[in-house]
Amino acid sequence: MARNFFTVMRSSAPTRTASPASNQTPSGQVTAPPPNMKQDAAAGVGVHLDPNLEAVRHDFTEEVETALQLRNVSAFYGSFQAIDKMTMPIPRNRVTALIGPSGCGKSTLLRCFNRMNDLIPGARIEGEIEFEGRNLIDPNVDAVEVRRRIGMVFQKPNPFPKSIYENVAFGARINGYSGDMDRLVEDSLRRAALWDEVKDELDKSGLALSGGQQQRLCIARAIAVQPEIILMDEPASALDPVATLKIEDLMRELAEEYTIVVVTHNMQQAGRVSDYTAFLLAGEERVGRLVEFGPTQDIFTNPIDQRTEDYITGRYG
Amino acid sequence: MSAATPTAGITPYAPRIRARRGLSVGFMVIALLAITASMLMLGALIVEIAVDGAARLFTDGSATVQEVRGETLIDLPTPENMNWLAWAMPVAILLPFLGLRVVRSLIADIPALAERAIGFATTLPVAVFVHILYVRFESAYYIEYAKAIGVDGASGNIFQLFAEASGFQFVRLIVAGLILPLGIIAAGWFWSNRLRRPSLLLPAIATAAWVVYLFLDPFFLSSYPSRLPAQAGLFSAITGTLYMMVITAAVAFPLGVGAAIYLEEYARRNWFSRMIQVNISNLAGVPSIIYGLLGLQVFVRVLEFERSVLAGACTMALLVMPIIIVSAQEALRTVPPSMREAAYAVGATRWQVIRFHVLPYAFGGMLTGNILAMSRAIGETAPLIAIGALTFIAFLADSPTDDFTVMPIQVFNWVTRPQSGFHEIAASGIIVLMLVLLVMNAAAIVMRQRTRTDW
Ligand SMILES: Nc1ncnc2c1ncn2[C@@H]1O[C@H](COP(=O)(O)OP(=O)(O)O)[C@@H](O)[C@H]1O
Ligand SMILES: [Mg+2]
Repeated sequence: MARNFFTVMRSSAPTRTASPASNQTPSGQVTAPPPNMKQDAAAGVGVHLDPNLEAVRHDFTEEVETALQLRNVSAFYGSFQAIDKMTMPIPRNRVTALIGPSGCGKSTLLRCFNRMNDLIPGARIEGEIEFEGRNLIDPNVDAVEVRRRIGMVFQKPNPFPKSIYENVAFGARINGYSGDMDRLVEDSLRRAALWDEVKDELDKSGLALSGGQQQRLCIARAIAVQPEIILMDEPASALDPVATLKIEDLMRELAEEYTIVVVTHNMQQAGRVSDYTAFLLAGEERVGRLVEFGPTQDIFTNPIDQRTEDYITGRYG
Repeated sequence: MSAATPTAGITPYAPRIRARRGLSVGFMVIALLAITASMLMLGALIVEIAVDGAARLFTDGSATVQEVRGETLIDLPTPENMNWLAWAMPVAILLPFLGLRVVRSLIADIPALAERAIGFATTLPVAVFVHILYVRFESAYYIEYAKAIGVDGASGNIFQLFAEASGFQFVRLIVAGLILPLGIIAAGWFWSNRLRRPSLLLPAIATAAWVVYLFLDPFFLSSYPSRLPAQAGLFSAITGTLYMMVITAAVAFPLGVGAAIYLEEYARRNWFSRMIQVNISNLAGVPSIIYGLLGLQVFVRVLEFERSVLAGACTMALLVMPIIIVSAQEALRTVPPSMREAAYAVGATRWQVIRFHVLPYAFGGMLTGNILAMSRAIGETAPLIAIGALTFIAFLADSPTDDFTVMPIQVFNWVTRPQSGFHEIAASGIIVLMLVLLVMNAAAIVMRQRTRTDW
């Protein structure tokens, strides 16, 4: 099956349809760039992904496969629209950070990726999220299967009140894993950088661990079902700086094998751990929109959209 | 800002605060009065019942069986001879303690294992000693008893005693002959493992039980009803209650928990589930006699269960179902959403989430609710009278379709008799009923504490 190669663009590449083109009105007249575009976007020439000219993509210097391709994804809670027509790729084996102020729909978007929003009465998703050639939003796609292949780590560490071993083994067991469970548990805990701390007390309750250890246990639990993508919703926001650093190191290591999408409030964290960054913002009506997506370095050093720059430099609340 | 004019030294807010405090003092006084009054009344009632009931429920420790029963039966050795055994427990607790003290003063560093060994070494002989003494005593007692009631070939063989003993006597044999020695060993073990609290609590409970046992008149709990107050007992009522409770729990718990799971985990929040929810609360408030009439029509007549244990248990199950459902729902709600999300996130189906996570975490709370519901059912009289439970049962129910009686009905019946002797044994019956309730509620509280998870 053909993979989606989403960019091959360099600034000199001829595929650069770029701003000048999209700034043309149907009549062919060249208009001024939209007011939210930085006027002096000299170095980074952006490509608009959606017709609203809101989401801006930097040109990429590397060639990556997409793990997920979002097309016009909107999410609703009852009659309230939380996110509006987001279109972007999630690159495979990279860390993608979702940043933006509170309430802009980061968690909502993340929970669309593994159909977690199905569990909320009245929640609804529109659009398309392509995952291995299928639209995983499609009601005919089994949400349980989606969640097995796209794991999740939550904001507050939430180990089961069971033994450390059971915490890790549970997912594999219910999914009919028939291999050597002891090895799987050890392997998962090793990858989550927790094995050395707990190897002598696997029978201890997961709740007896420290916050940082609990969060790494949750990561081990997610890894144990061997997912392709791991979603993390502010995984370090409840942790102290040392534990946070450990989780960040872990994310970098995991990115070699997994695709990671991480929501974070913390600019420095996004800068440290992520390869790609999506900046989301909610307007007046509290509807979250994608403002800018691109390589983290470009977003941080050379944002195209004025609002991105304002947010990154801390001019937003 | 406020209407009150600020005076020197008082902030403008002072009057409002004082007013509120005045109000709260008023409420406190009312509450205290109400509580004191009800406590006093309850206390008076309890004292009255206890004074009456003690006459029949307990011997004074020196009375022989024949005196208590008001007729010459046999001349049995009295429990009085065994009173000193009540001290065995405290002694057994002190022994490992003293033993350890002595050993410690001799050897500086004792390994943990040796500490335990010392605990065992000191308690074990005491336990064995107590057990042997007890068996000898009980053997003599039962040989006399067996002779008196005409059992041939009674010997001192403990196994034969077990074979011949029945019902309450059997329980007595087990409890006193095994629990006490085992309790002593457990006390020694806990103590030498530095679990001080259980090491004191366990023997305290066992000692108390032992003392009660010594003075308890076993015949009150092991006799059938009689037209003579001195010979009447609670045996058929106790077994009837137990029998009915087991069936009630077996019917009500699965149904109630199932309903709670449906309402909490599966039902969509729409008018239908709201209607069910409201009606469950309503059902909890329906007078119990109505359930009795319902049971009479549905179970006794239509389903033709007759006036049986089964009919009574089904009626009781309906009666306590709302309590079980509501408490099970509450237990399910205490399981944080984050646990469900965590389970869903590793690819669990809804049933797997419920089966492996929600249910186990909520089960303690559900059991607690079930015990409380059962303690409600145990005291209910009206619905059983409505379905026609009998009051004079001189046999034990063998099958769920047999006639039966329960403790509150037996007590009710005794209270309505004209002879004062029956009033006394009614009081004794109430004490037994209250003890059972106390134990059940204590179990519920302990279980709630034990199974609580700090998320
Ligand atoms: N379960 C829900 N029901 C209704 N509205 C919700 C729910 N969860 C989130 N929202 C709303 O959706 C918007 C986006 O929320 P969220 O995705 O949690 O934002 P973020 O994670 O970026 O802080 C907010 O306005 C929030 O109030
Ligand atoms: Mg969030």
